[in-house]
Amino acid sequence: MLNRIYIDNFKSLVNFELVIDKPIQLLMGANGAGKSNIFEILLKVQSLLEGKKVQEIFLFSDLTRWQNSLFLTIELEISGNNGLYKYELSIGYEPEGRKKRVDHERLWFNSKPLLNFEKGEAHLYRDDQSVGPVYPFDWSQSAIAALPSRNDNKLLTWFKEHLSDNLIIIKINPINMTGESERGEAKLKANAENFVSWYSFLSENQGRAFEITQQLRDVFNGFSHFQFVQFGESIKALRVHFSSEEDGNRTIGYRFDELSDGQRVLIILYALLGILKDGFFTLCLDEPDNYVALSEIQPWLTSLFDLCGEGKAQAIIISHHPELINYLASDVGVWLERQSNRPTRIKRISEEEGKDLPLSELVARGWIND
Amino acid sequence: MTNRKAEILILCEDLQQEVFARSCLIAYGFNRRKIRSLKSPKGKGAGSQFVLESFPNEVRVYRSRSANLALFLVVLIDADNYTHRERLSHLENTLINAGLAPRMLEEKIAVFIPKRNIETWIHYSMHEVVNEENIYPKLSNQSDCKPYLENLIAQCREDRLIDPPPSLQHGRAELRRIL
Repeated sequence: MLNRIYIDNFKSLVNFELVIDKPIQLLMGANGAGKSNIFEILLKVQSLLEGKKVQEIFLFSDLTRWQNSLFLTIELEISGNNGLYKYELSIGYEPEGRKKRVDHERLWFNSKPLLNFEKGEAHLYRDDQSVGPVYPFDWSQSAIAALPSRNDNKLLTWFKEHLSDNLIIIKINPINMTGESERGEAKLKANAENFVSWYSFLSENQGRAFEITQQLRDVFNGFSHFQFVQFGESIKALRVHFSSEEDGNRTIGYRFDELSDGQRVLIILYALLGILKDGFFTLCLDEPDNYVALSEIQPWLTSLFDLCGEGKAQAIIISHHPELINYLASDVGVWLERQSNRPTRIKRISEEEGKDLPLSELVARGWIND
Repeated sequence: MTNRKAEILILCEDLQQEVFARSCLIAYGFNRRKIRSLKSPKGKGAGSQFVLESFPNEVRVYRSRSANLALFLVVLIDADNYTHRERLSHLENTLINAGLAPRMLEEKIAVFIPKRNIETWIHYSMHEVVNEENIYPKLSNQSDCKPYLENLIAQCREDRLIDPPPSLQHGRAELRRIL
């Protein structure tokens, strides 16, 4: 579980700390308050740990405009693997130039160091806490990403794999989704545009595919099943089959990209719930309610809430939707705000908020925390 | 097209009551997609007022639509410092003030009044000895009660609750209205 995020000098996030103590957390705030910046930096850290180069990920424009510092700092605290990880990353930018590098990268497990990578030199520590070798390392990338997994660095490998596989950061955009796939992909991309490839991967596990199908039969009138149809040698299209009572068992298959935006989003939202039985995931969902019919938001939300409450997942949700605000805000809501050219600040929802008006109405009137 | 039609409306004060009620109903076999929860959208501490204000309209809606839909109205309100009878009167008075008839036996409207509050029932379900005078601590996560509720429901079903608080006994009687 992601317990703490600290970010300094990234867009509107300056000396910014978010402590997460609930399995589900709602982030609210006006447009431009900096909510999505939190997910964006998490995505960048994830990409770095998956082996992408600093130069490909971090932009000069990422730095906070009104700051002079040329260092971007991120700290994460993650509980898991029967302990607490602390990760620190600092990206250094060359003045004037556009070059960036890892200034330092450090990882601890239960306060014991696993890695200290600084100025191009990586000091490794074994799982048994003994001091390991010192290597010169290419500081254009993460040392954690570059280290092969070994028997004596299982703790570090767990962290790397967890961040890559079990942290899902999504802002679903149905517009760019295709209906075809060349191969299964284990990761759902940030806009979920590769859903068909991801579902192709998911459906290799028949039990999981069956469960998702069962859920969707409850959600959609006449939903029958998914089917992959081969086109040419390597491309396959995902068809979604629906039946109607009048036609008996006869189904009609629609390409995934023929479905409505809302149907596609709902399918993805329920597929995300479907994978939560495979391990502990942290879902960072940016406005999951977009495109979804009003009647469908609460059933999905309460299903997610229950899974999180049962310890099967963690969810951090950004939303402006009254359904989510009224359901979650008074218990797990966090309000983000900032002035023009000033950093994002966090305000917890106080006990006094919403005594006279629904919280969503307070938000709508711009009166929250006034 | 999606096909959700809510049939079970939970009217309650807060998220803890909502999780408790919804989990119990699902454990009883109600379809989670048919459940619509209406908890106080206001901040903490405004819950009982919200339930009292919303109750007459939800009863009106229930009566006008139950001919076409198999509706259930499940209401939760803490007794707090009142007796069970007094809290029930508060709700009944809202119907009178709105010009509505009192709740009929055949209507699938169940009113649950935990005393002092929902935490009493939750701590009872967690095998603690409880009374209705003490204020029991809130759970840090509302869902932490869920593992205990299936057992509570099973005991309710089989009429083998051991030394339950009186308000929970009233709750069992209310449950029969909707089952």
